[in-house]
Amino acid sequence: MIELARVTKRFGALTAVDDLSFTVRPGRVTGFLGPNGAGKTTTMRIILGLDAPTTGTALVAGRRYRHFARPLRQVGSLLDASAVQGARTARDHLLSLAVSNGIGRARVTEVLALTGLDPVAGKRVRDFSLGMKQRLGIAAAMLGDPPVLIFDEPVNALDADGVRWIRLLMRQLAANGHTVFISSHLMSEMAQTADHLIVIGRGRLLADAPTAQFTGPAAGGDVLVRSPRAGDLTELLRARGAAVAVTGDGGLSVTGTDAAAIADLAAARGIPVHELTRRAPSLEQVYLNLTGASTEYRALGPEDRTPAPEGRALAPGRETEDGR
Amino acid sequence: MTVASIRPARTRVPALATRARDVLAFEWVKLRSVRANWVTALAAAAATLGVTVIVARTAAAVPAHQATGSLAPLLASFLASGEYTILPVSVLGVLAFTSEYASGLIRTTFAAVPHRWAVLAAKAAVLGGAALALGEVLAFACFLVAQALLSGSHLGLSLGQPGVPGAVLAAGFLPCACVLTALGLGAIIRSTAGAITAAVAVIYAVAGLCLVLPAPWKTDIGRFTIGFAAYQVMSGHPQRGLLPPAASMLVLIAWPAVALLVAGAVLARRDA
Repeated sequence: MIELARVTKRFGALTAVDDLSFTVRPGRVTGFLGPNGAGKTTTMRIILGLDAPTTGTALVAGRRYRHFARPLRQVGSLLDASAVQGARTARDHLLSLAVSNGIGRARVTEVLALTGLDPVAGKRVRDFSLGMKQRLGIAAAMLGDPPVLIFDEPVNALDADGVRWIRLLMRQLAANGHTVFISSHLMSEMAQTADHLIVIGRGRLLADAPTAQFTGPAAGGDVLVRSPRAGDLTELLRARGAAVAVTGDGGLSVTGTDAAAIADLAAARGIPVHELTRRAPSLEQVYLNLTGASTEYRALGPEDRTPAPEGRALAPGRETEDGR
Repeated sequence: MTVASIRPARTRVPALATRARDVLAFEWVKLRSVRANWVTALAAAAATLGVTVIVARTAAAVPAHQATGSLAPLLASFLASGEYTILPVSVLGVLAFTSEYASGLIRTTFAAVPHRWAVLAAKAAVLGGAALALGEVLAFACFLVAQALLSGSHLGLSLGQPGVPGAVLAAGFLPCACVLTALGLGAIIRSTAGAITAAVAVIYAVAGLCLVLPAPWKTDIGRFTIGFAAYQVMSGHPQRGLLPPAASMLVLIAWPAVALLVAGAVLARRDA
């Protein structure tokens, strides 16, 4: 369990994290999404006690990270896979971390095997590819078999096999009751891994909801309709309060009503319908809508800035969409 | 039975001694697992011994009444270590923090041991201990080698003579004082180039500058520098106008102590 309560971090005039509150719960993979520069890494550093928040508190298992006597047994983290010293072998790197937290040598061998690094354990890290360094970082995070795991952009630079491996590992860890918190700037990636998403932009919370809710009815979407009498159908639909837009290839994008109602309406008036497709919003679109709102704040002065909507609402993205 | 008792290992806070041992082991593994550190120490030792032989041969050729200054029998034993041990060892001291800042490993270090004073103390203990061991071994070895060569000219000293053991011990302590000063500077400055420049300034350049200052300042300021203090503790012939050997020893302790205290305060306050 990770709990942030009203965390703000300022670097001079820049507010990297702005009054951020959320809870990351065990037993599921929580994705931490935001564009580059949104404050994800700073937030993770604050959780790990590396950066001190200007105000607010970040707790892991109810305690500040800095108060852990042996933190690697509580929280495993990987912020930057290339943050290793090339002159050291993979085994020595892991051994140094193991002894620092009273973890036995046997566990070093275990995590090397777990991450598939045992054949290169005695090689110096400077000869590792970024993908191998990523595995080494994950091995280090797993050393203390911690109940909480924090990964910053874990699949960056990994090949397809590596990505699948990490995804599987995260899902397994969550299924075993671990708290898994992973950041990414790619919605598509998170959609396949995370059960729950926390989205931030410019350091503010934009959304905190189950992944399913980002694709569910509340997230928007439309119905695509094709008809030889598109004009007549459009008038009827608009009269019923639905919004209709003409797509590039002559189809109608209908929102504000559902497919069944459109079909019934067309049948009642004898209007032929050639296609009727319910389209879920793409996660990318939802995400862009959400973070687009945060980039819009950028154009405003700090005084004009409207407070970021709190909590579960997906509304901000839709409002922006409607406003366009 | 409480829920916490399911995972006793996680909830029990280890004793302070255990945690100290762990963080010392952490820094020791990091120090010993970089081959360049061993190469540097061995190369420094070889160069120091080699140059000591050259200095001692030169000193042995000097008539007894002219054997003063750096060619005086005692000082000639330690002349080589001034550059060939202290400089490379000080660079290692600087790198202990700056290399971790450069690679980003420092964040892994502080994630493993969030108590930053503990990290600093462990690095100081491990590096200082290694430098002290290397320094003392080299000081005695260089003394014995130099005196063996000087004894041919009947200039050789023995460890039994008054003042000699203290001078040799003090000479062996110098690399430790310098490595700890450099360690502190590395933590404060974080960039390798900047910290090495600062370390060279503190260890060498400040004393060098004082040598060219006009009369009262040369000694008034100079006696607080590492260079002048080092001369006082290991020459066997302390100069008047400078601090006596015991006070000079305190100067040699004060420099690293101040550097480490400032470093600790800075590390504890600053974001990693």
